[in-house]
Amino acid sequence: MGDADEQNIWVEQSRNGDHAALAALIRTHQPMIHSLTFRMTGSVADAKDLAQETFIRAYQQLDSFNSAAKFSSWLYRIAVNACLDWQRHEARRSRLHDRWGQLRDAESVEAGGDDRLDELSRQVQAALMKLPEKQRAAVVLTVYFGHNHAESAKILGCSETTVSWRVFSARRKLKSLLSNKGGSHE
Amino acid sequence: MNNSELDAKLMAAREPVLPADYEEAFPRTVLANLRSATWKKSPARRVWFPRLTWAAATAACVLLAFAVGHWRGRMETGTIPATDSLTSTKLIRETLAMFPNRVRAIVQDERGINLVLSDNDDVPVSPPLYVRICDGEHCSSLVTFSGQEIQIAGQKVTVLADTHGGVILAGQHFMWSDTERVYAASHLKITTKNLGSIPM
Repeated sequence: MGDADEQNIWVEQSRNGDHAALAALIRTHQPMIHSLTFRMTGSVADAKDLAQETFIRAYQQLDSFNSAAKFSSWLYRIAVNACLDWQRHEARRSRLHDRWGQLRDAESVEAGGDDRLDELSRQVQAALMKLPEKQRAAVVLTVYFGHNHAESAKILGCSETTVSWRVFSARRKLKSLLSNKGGSHE
Repeated sequence: MNNSELDAKLMAAREPVLPADYEEAFPRTVLANLRSATWKKSPARRVWFPRLTWAAATAACVLLAFAVGHWRGRMETGTIPATDSLTSTKLIRETLAMFPNRVRAIVQDERGINLVLSDNDDVPVSPPLYVRICDGEHCSSLVTFSGQEIQIAGQKVTVLADTHGGVILAGQHFMWSDTERVYAASHLKITTKNLGSIPM
C-alpha cells in the first residue's frame, strides 16, 4: 500500500484527470472498502455496488479532500455514508436474511474450508444486520477496522460520546444475539 | 460473554473472498462508470448517471428485468428518441474497448446506464442490436448482441439478428420482429434497430 505522501501525489494527479493515479488509489483501498460495505450490508452484490459508488463519490468530491487529513479515513466516511444512504433509500433490509441465506452456500465455498467457521461467519453477519445501521457502522469501524472512538467519531461525523454509546449498545445486543449461538466453536 | 470474547467472535467471522479477476477489473469498472458520468455532463448526449448495478459478474446468463406493469391492448411499434444515448456509436465503442468480449448488454432505464458483463471473455463480436421497450409508463433501452437473453413481460427472450439486418425477439411464448408479431404481452411499444458494425 502506498504511503501517505505517495497517496497524496495520486490524489493530486487524480484531480488533474490522471486515470492511472486514480486506478492506483482505487487498487490500494478497494479491499478495505469492500470489507466495510460487506459488513454494512451483508450482501456481496450490494457490497460491490456500494464499493463502486464510494469511489465514484470520492472522485466527484476529490477537491474537498484536505491533504493534511488521512485519505483512508476520508474514504471510510464516504463509504459509510453511501451505506447509510443505501439503508435509507432501499427497502431491502427485510430481504437481507433471505438473500444472505441464498448467498451463504456460494460464499462459504468462496471463503473456503472450515464449515464450522462458515456457520459462525453467517451467524455473526446476521447478528450485525440486526443492529441499527449507525450502531453497526460504529462496531464495524471500531472492531473490524481498529479505529478508536475518536477516529470513528470523525468518520461518522458525530461526537465521541455518541460513538461510545453506539458501541456500548451494539455490544449489548450482539452478546445477546451471539451468546447462545456458535458456542461450540470456541 | 465479555467484550474480549465478543470481539474474538466478531473477528473470527470471515468475509466472502472476492474473485481475483473481479478485484483486478474493479479499478477499470469504476473508471468506466466515471466515464459514463462525464457523458452525463455533455448537453449534446444526455446520458443518465449509472446507479452502479453491475450485476453481471455472477450472472450465468443475461436477465434484464423491465418494469412493464400491466399490459393491455395492442402492441405497437415505436420510434427511437433523439435523446437515446444508447444509439451513440462512441459510447458503445468505448464500452466494448474497455471490456472486450465481456459486454453482454448496456442497459438504460430510469436509474441510468448499467453494464451487464460476462464473467469470461466469451461474448462473440457481432453487430450491436438496439432494443427499446415501453409500457406506457416506463421505458427501458438496451444495446445487446445476437444470441443474448433478456426478459420481457416475465419471459426469457433471445435477441437475434436476422440475415436482412433486422432484429428478432424470440421466446417460448413470445416472438417479435418488424414483420412477425406473435406475442404474449401486449400494450408494449417495442423498437429495435441493428446498429451495424461499430468501428473499433
